[in-house]
Amino acid sequence: MEIEDIEEIDNVQMKDKEIVIPGEVLSEDLTNFTPGRGTTKQGKKIISLFVGLKVIRKNYINVIPLRGIYTPTEGDKVIGVIIDKNPVKWTLDINARNCGILKPSNTVERTQKFKKGKPDRVRETTEKFNVGDVLIVKITQADRLHRPELTTQGKYLGKRNSGKLIEIPPPKIPRIIGRKGSMINLLKNMTNCNIFVTQNGRIWIQGDNFEHEMLLIDTIHKIETEAHTSGLTDRIKEFIINEKIKRGIN
Amino acid sequence: MSLLIKDESPEKLIGEDGKRLDGRDLNELRSIKMEVGVIPNADGSAYIEWGGNKIYAAVYGPREVHPRHDARPDRGILRTFYRMTTYSVSERKRPAPGRREKEISLVIKNAIEPVLFLELYPDSAVEVYIEVISADGGTRCACTTVAILALVDAGIPMRGLITAVAAGKVDGKLIIDCSGDEDKSGEADLPCAITWYNNQISLLQFDGIMDLEEFDRSLDLIMEALEKIHKLQEEALKKRYIDVRNNLKNYKPEVVPTSNIEEKIDLNNQKNQNGGDQTE
Repeated sequence: MEIEDIEEIDNVQMKDKEIVIPGEVLSEDLTNFTPGRGTTKQGKKIISLFVGLKVIRKNYINVIPLRGIYTPTEGDKVIGVIIDKNPVKWTLDINARNCGILKPSNTVERTQKFKKGKPDRVRETTEKFNVGDVLIVKITQADRLHRPELTTQGKYLGKRNSGKLIEIPPPKIPRIIGRKGSMINLLKNMTNCNIFVTQNGRIWIQGDNFEHEMLLIDTIHKIETEAHTSGLTDRIKEFIINEKIKRGIN
Repeated sequence: MSLLIKDESPEKLIGEDGKRLDGRDLNELRSIKMEVGVIPNADGSAYIEWGGNKIYAAVYGPREVHPRHDARPDRGILRTFYRMTTYSVSERKRPAPGRREKEISLVIKNAIEPVLFLELYPDSAVEVYIEVISADGGTRCACTTVAILALVDAGIPMRGLITAVAAGKVDGKLIIDCSGDEDKSGEADLPCAITWYNNQISLLQFDGIMDLEEFDRSLDLIMEALEKIHKLQEEALKKRYIDVRNNLKNYKPEVVPTSNIEEKIDLNNQKNQNGGDQTE
């Protein structure tokens, strides 16, 4: 899902987008249409590869998938959970095809010493984090054949000692963010919670109190189930206002 | 008094009125119910009730292959695990995977593989776990039908769906969708699966005696039945999303006083200008 896709889905004036399944023929007109994302050419037909929403933009036919896995991309910030460690590296579950690798040298600031090719040996151990820790990391290198390399050096990155972690299908993450961040700002302002949304389908939240956090989790699951419908932001705003009165919180 | 469940098949499988034991016509299917997304912890899952068969399928992956030497550097691998629970048949089934389970796992895997784009996931595996909770004939066809639904639900790209059904010969007559009794004491059994993107057969097994003309007629019966099942598969996949939309059309928000709360929501005074997704 991209920003333009969200605009198309959210447009109330237009009809609901057609839900297609794999193998469904999207068009037989190959002169006017070109297969776009989530589609392929099969003989003289354009067919869908996923269960998703059919969107036509210019002369491209695209299918926005509703289910799928996260593919690591260089530069993405993701939430990982440490599942293994040994003296030279940590292995992180980043909800992707491969586990991510975090090396101790990528967890310390690059000093002048380090740049000259003499890493600070004293800090080069894996005692800093333990199995089960939740880290926000950045992917520094990713391709199809190797495990992604991670780093904790950068803005907002590092270990999270408190808060809650929830998971939703990765293709629905853009709906949580919304058009130009409208949905995430709505959630932040209405529930007074800190939210960190990452592309691998994980969301870290921390609120002032338990009630607000639970309200936020319920809201996120509502967005997840209704991701393919239009007019979502208004409906979510209404939902939170109603729920706050029902639950007796401000 | 001990409880004894007799496991005997009747002598005649087709009655004098031309109907089968369960009251079906010769070319009539059993009732089929399919559902998608039944197991929350799996990447994709599906459930089917096909007559007396009750089967769950769960898909995990693409994920790393263990043991690592099974991985292929040029493409991903598909692993299928067909298992029957101990209570799925009238006599207790031993839980260890036997010859039959391994064979059915293999034929299902070979039937599904041609529709997947496994070359997109080198060095990784897609794993399909199929658990038969209750068995009543034709489980390999039902398993193939439900496994593909679980794969679609997991978001794995594919060329199209697969549907399977079995034809058979009972008391000298050709039938479709054999039940457990017809499977055991019938004269022939012909499970068949086709891939819908090119209408090719991807699973065909044969057991029993049938002449060539009967074989051709059975395939015609199968094609007729497969189209009906394919429609049910499509419906099951779309129902999950269409139901949400239909519920929203009937949804009417409760009228509540909002004066206090609305004042606090001032979207114009946003502190964060970091693009929304990565802010704290």
